[in-house]
Amino acid sequence: MSRGEDRRQARAADGDMKKFYYIFAAVAVVGIGVVGFRVSSSMFGSAVSAPIELDLENDAELVALAQGVAKGDDAAPVTIVEFGDYQCPGCGSFALSVKPQIDGSLVASGQVKFVFYDFPLISIHPNAFLAARAARCAEDEGKFWEYHEVLFRNQNRWSTASMPASAFEDYASEVGVDAGDFASCLNSDAYADVVTANLELGTRMGVNGTPTIFINANGQTRRLNNYDFQSLNEAVQMMLAPGDR
Amino acid sequence: MADEPVVETAGDGGGAPPTNRMVVAVLGLVGLFVALFLWAHNAGLTGPIQCGIGDCATVQSSEYARIGPIPVSAIGVVGYAALIALALVGLQPAHRASRLVGTMLLAGSGLGVAFSAWLTYLEAFVIHAWCQYCVISAIMITLIFLASLPELGRVRGGDR
Repeated sequence: MSRGEDRRQARAADGDMKKFYYIFAAVAVVGIGVVGFRVSSSMFGSAVSAPIELDLENDAELVALAQGVAKGDDAAPVTIVEFGDYQCPGCGSFALSVKPQIDGSLVASGQVKFVFYDFPLISIHPNAFLAARAARCAEDEGKFWEYHEVLFRNQNRWSTASMPASAFEDYASEVGVDAGDFASCLNSDAYADVVTANLELGTRMGVNGTPTIFINANGQTRRLNNYDFQSLNEAVQMMLAPGDR
Repeated sequence: MADEPVVETAGDGGGAPPTNRMVVAVLGLVGLFVALFLWAHNAGLTGPIQCGIGDCATVQSSEYARIGPIPVSAIGVVGYAALIALALVGLQPAHRASRLVGTMLLAGSGLGVAFSAWLTYLEAFVIHAWCQYCVISAIMITLIFLASLPELGRVRGGDR
């Protein structure tokens, strides 16, 4: 092979490598752009993930703003109130093992109305406030309880995430909530006032841990120390008027 | 007058750059970004995955999105990065005829195809949901494997 031919081949090889590097660099730039855009637009979202300052004149305004989410007959003689935190393992255990029994017997029989209030312990559970807001956003489409359960079922996954919003958006799709509407709700300050008010209401009622369960019946309120179904059922039966048992 | 010494060129160092390795590097880069995106999503760093076809949310929130503590997408990132690195090394003049690079490309992409086939089976028959990004990744690794097949010739006939 002549020297000239060698040089021509070397030049052709260099030309091929240059073209390759251009294509490789172009793909790299496009890839970095697309992935970077998706990450940055999510990281700099405006989702409110901590309690906000409430401008309330008096306790009546706090009570009016605080909203539990109820399940069961409004006319039920007993109301069970839970103050819960979505990042709390005890609340998860209560939601996944005790609450289905409450729903299946006490709520289904019309004896009990169950009400959930948020009590995100943000000093130890940094994702709990956003999770509470996410559940409220799911309630916009009537899917609060489905979402409530999915959050607790996947607690181990999103609890440790530094940015849990995308997981919350996945769960919304999983329970059939419109992805776009949910994302708009979550990436805003929607329900930050309600969740903050629930937290404040719980604090004023002496709640200092989760889950905290109250039973209301006949104008009386009792705070439970044991959250197993048997203890809860016994307390409900004791507080029911004889005719409602 | 004596002839000038022949300059060692890229061609002499290993012939023309193997086109199939260029293809592996570029396809690997596409696969790497798909896997990186899914990994970022898994770590909570992106918004929701909006799928035109299929149901990424179900796939990504399933128990099969992780192997123990390791997200499957992270395995994809490492695998694609390794294939890219091999292809780039194999394009350098000194390694263009390398049997070792050829063998590793074939083995790596073959393993990738097998792993991807298992994940596709899970989507089809266990999770019953499809994630379009996982499908893109499966197509990428299959194409990489096909692009690696010419390495068989180098592995059989190469001198290193």
